[in-house]
Amino acid sequence: MDWTALRLSLQLGSFTVLLLLPVGIWAGRRLAYRDFRGKGVVEALVALPLVLPPTVFGYYLLVGFGAASPIGQVWHSLFGRPLVFTFEGLLVASVIFNLPFAIQPMQRGFEAIPREVREAAACCGMSPWQALRRIELPLAWPGILTAMVLGFAHTLGEFGIVLMVGGSIPGETRTIAIAIYDRVQAFDDLAAAQMSALLLAISLVTIALTYGLSRRVGRRLG
Amino acid sequence: MSAGLLVRLHQDAPIPLAATFACAPGEMLALVGPSGSGKSTILRTIAGLYRPRNGAVSVEGDVWFESEAGVWLPAHRRRAGLVFQSYALFPHLTALDNVTAALGHLPRGERRARAGQLLELVHLAGLEGRRPAELSGGQQQRVAVARALGREPKVLLLDEPFSAVDKATRQKLYRELAAMRQRLSMPVVLVTHDLDEALMLADRLSLLHHGRTLQDGPPLQVIERPATLEAARLVGQRNLFDATVLEHQAPPGFTLLRWCGRVLEAERNPLYPVGASVSWMIPSSHLVLHRRDRPSRGEHENPVPGIITECLPLGESTSCALTVDGGADLSLAFSVPSHVAARNRLAPGERATVSLLASGIHLMPPDDTCPPVG
Amino acid sequence: MARAPLLHDRLVGAISDETEPDRTAASFRSSEENCSIPTDQSGFTRSEPLAGRFRHIGIRTSASLALVAGIALLTIAGLARSAFADEPPTVAAAADLQFALTEVAAAFAAETGLEVKLAFGSSGNFARQIRQGAPFEMYLSADESYVLELSRDGFTRDDGVLYAIGRIVVIVPDGSPLEPDGTLRDLRAALADGRVQKFAIANPEHAPYGRRAEEALRHAGLWEAIEDRLVLGENVAQAAQFATSGSTAGGIIAYSLALSPKVSARGRFEPIPEAWHAPLRQRMVLLENAGATAGRFFAFVQAPRARAVMRRYGFVLPGEGS
Repeated sequence: MDWTALRLSLQLGSFTVLLLLPVGIWAGRRLAYRDFRGKGVVEALVALPLVLPPTVFGYYLLVGFGAASPIGQVWHSLFGRPLVFTFEGLLVASVIFNLPFAIQPMQRGFEAIPREVREAAACCGMSPWQALRRIELPLAWPGILTAMVLGFAHTLGEFGIVLMVGGSIPGETRTIAIAIYDRVQAFDDLAAAQMSALLLAISLVTIALTYGLSRRVGRRLG
Repeated sequence: MSAGLLVRLHQDAPIPLAATFACAPGEMLALVGPSGSGKSTILRTIAGLYRPRNGAVSVEGDVWFESEAGVWLPAHRRRAGLVFQSYALFPHLTALDNVTAALGHLPRGERRARAGQLLELVHLAGLEGRRPAELSGGQQQRVAVARALGREPKVLLLDEPFSAVDKATRQKLYRELAAMRQRLSMPVVLVTHDLDEALMLADRLSLLHHGRTLQDGPPLQVIERPATLEAARLVGQRNLFDATVLEHQAPPGFTLLRWCGRVLEAERNPLYPVGASVSWMIPSSHLVLHRRDRPSRGEHENPVPGIITECLPLGESTSCALTVDGGADLSLAFSVPSHVAARNRLAPGERATVSLLASGIHLMPPDDTCPPVG
Repeated sequence: MARAPLLHDRLVGAISDETEPDRTAASFRSSEENCSIPTDQSGFTRSEPLAGRFRHIGIRTSASLALVAGIALLTIAGLARSAFADEPPTVAAAADLQFALTEVAAAFAAETGLEVKLAFGSSGNFARQIRQGAPFEMYLSADESYVLELSRDGFTRDDGVLYAIGRIVVIVPDGSPLEPDGTLRDLRAALADGRVQKFAIANPEHAPYGRRAEEALRHAGLWEAIEDRLVLGENVAQAAQFATSGSTAGGIIAYSLALSPKVSARGRFEPIPEAWHAPLRQRMVLLENAGATAGRFFAFVQAPRARAVMRRYGFVLPGEGS
C-alpha cells in the first residue's frame, strides 16, 4: 500500500476540484443562461476531453508545456521548476482534462433553475451577486456537488495523462493509479490488489453519491 | 403629468411593439389581448427584465428607461412588484423567507415581522413555514403577491395571475384583490386575456394586438364601443355589419342607416357624413327577442324578422343565430335565458323577430380604417 | 353611455349578491385552515446570513470568481516551490533493475540514512523525458547509447560509467507448451506446430532489451514467423509480467529479472547466447542538476557492497564473471 501515492492522488483530486469550482460555476452559469453565437462550438470544446484519448491530450500537453516550449520556459524561469514532470504540471493537466466533468453538471444545475425564478430575484431587489448567493447557488448546489464529486473521482483514476506528463516520480507524480501499474510490473501483487480495492471502493461511493445528489435536484425544484 | 406610470414603447424586432399607455396611482389598468400580443413583454419591460429598442418608462417622475437618453435601470434597482404567471416562488425557501427576500431595504431586525404582516394581509397566517411545494396554487399566488408588495413597489404588475387556478379559487382571489386595491396607492397593471376579468377588476382597459395599442379606456367603453372593426373582433363582438348613412336627424333624434333593405335608427353620431359607408356593431345584450305570445314595449325599435338558424343551449343561456330576411348571409347573434327559448319554442327553422336597441348600435369606420376625428 | 352605468351596477350587484360562492369561499377557507398545521418556531428560519454584508462590496460576480481562482493557483505554486526544498533525489533506472536497485537503495539508506526515490521504466522513455526537463538526478540506462547521446547534448555531467553487461533469457511460465531452450530450437518447432499463440518481448522501439530480443530472434531466423504473435511490453519489466502471466506462451526478458525470486517462482528460463545480439552495455550517469545525495548514491552503486547485490542479479561487469 503506497500511502505517498494515495496522499498524492487525494491532493491532486482536491486541488483540481478547488480550482475547478469557480471556473465551473462561472462557465456553467454563462452557458446555462445565455445563448450566443458560437455557443455550440464552446460546448463542444468543453466536452472534448470526454472523447479525446488521454494520450493525445498528453502529447499536446508535452508539446505545449514541455521544456522546449515557450510556456514551459516561462514557467521554469518563474518558478525554478519545469511544468512537466511536476505536481503543478499534473494539476494543470488535470484541471483542463476535468473541465467537462466540472462544467456540464454545473450547467445542468443552473439550467434547471427556471428563468422566472431568477427574474423574481431581480425584482425582489437582489443584485446579481446576491441572487447568485441566495437563490442560484442553493438551487444549483446538487449539480455543483455532483461536478465536484465526479471531478475528484475522475482525477483519482486518471492514468494516461499522468503517465505522459508526470513521469511516475514517487512523491511527486506517482499517483495511486500509476502506483498500481508500477506494483504490477514489480510483481508486487499484494500492494496492487490493496490499492485497486481502495480505488474500487472510492468509485462505488462516488457513483452512489452522484445518483443520490441528482435525485435531490429534482426534489429541490419540485 | 408626472404622477403614476407612463409607458411608451416602440420596436419592430424581435418582438413588434407599439404601445402607449398611462396608469394613475391607485388605478388598475388591464392590458388585454390575445396570446402573443406582447402583453407579458410590456410588463417585463416595465419591471426591467426586457429592454426594447425605443421607448420610455417612468413612474412618479422617476425615469426607469429612456432609449434616447440611454437610461436603463436594471430590474433590481427598480421598485416594481411583479407577480409572475407561474408565481416563480423560490422553491428552497419557506413562504416567510420568500417574502423576506424582497425586504432587503429594511433593517435586518424588522424583516421577519414585516414579512409576517404581509402574509397575514394575504390571509396566509399560519402557513409561513411551508415550502412552495407544500402550498396549493391559490396559496402560492398569495405568497407571490405578498412578496411583490413587500418591496413597497411603485407599480404593481400582475401577469395573468389567475390563469393557473381553478374557478372557485379564482372567484375568491378576485374578491380579495378588489378588497386589497382599496388600500393600494400605486398604479396596478394587470395582464389578462380574459375580458370578463378586466371588466370585473380594472378601471381602465388597454387593448393590444401584435404589440400595438388599439384602444384605451374604461373597460365597458372599450367592449361596447370599440374604435375599429379589429378592436370589435378582439373583444368578441359578433354582430358586425356594413351600412350606409342616410340622414342625421336633429337632436334628440337618431342617425338613420340603410342596412339590408331596411332603415335602422341608431344613436346619433354626426361624425360620419351622409352617404358614407360605415361599419356598425351591436352587442348581444342589446338585442331583444319579440315574444311570440304577447307584444312588448321594445318591439318598435328596429324590428328585424328572420329565421332561426342556430339554437345552442349552453347551461342557463341559449345561444341563437337569426338569419335576417332579405340578407342571406347576414346573421344576428344573441342569447336568451334557456327558459325563454323554451317558452318561445325557439328552434332552427322557426321564424322570429328581434329588436335592435338604438343605443346599442355603435358606428365604426369601414374596413379597419381610422375613426374620424370629432 | 346611458346604459353603461346600469350594466356596471348590475355586475357589481351580481358580485355582492353571491351567496352561493360565499359559502364556497368560506368552506374553502376553512378547509385550508384545517390543512394549515401550525408550524413550530423552526419554520421561521433566520433571515439571510451574510448577504447584507456583501451588498456593499459590489464586486461583479465574474471578477470575484476570477480572483478566487487566481489566489488558489498562486497558493499551489507557492506550496510546490517550498515543498521542493529538501526532497530526496529521483533516480531514473531501467526496468531490469527493478529488484536489484531497490535492494541497493535500501542498503544505501541503512548505511547513510539518506533516501533516494527510484523510478523504473524503459531506458528510451527516460532519455526522452530527461530531454524534456524531467527532474531526475541520476540515470541508469540498459543501453549506453542513450547515456552517451545525452552526454553529447549536454544533459549530463559526464559520460558516466559502465555498471553491467546485460543478458537476455527466454522464459516460459509454468504450464506453458514451450520448453526453456536458450537456443530457441524449441521455439522454432513450437511456431511451426502452432503451440505458440502469443510471445512477449519488450518494445524494441525504446527498450534495449526489446531490441536485443529482436536481434536474437532475427539471428535465429524466427522474426518473420513470430512477429505478428508478439506482445510488446512497454519496458522489460512489463514484458516479464506478460511472459509469466500465463496468457502468453513465454517471452524474452532480462536475465536480472528472471533471477529475482518473484519471477523465477513463476517459470523456468535459459540464457540466450550473447553472440546473437549486440552487447547490452549498461551505463549510468549523474545528470546536470544532481545534488550531493545523488552523488553519494552514484558512488555507492560502484562500491563493493552494492556490486555484490548487482552480481547476485546477474549484473556483471566484463571480467567479473557471472
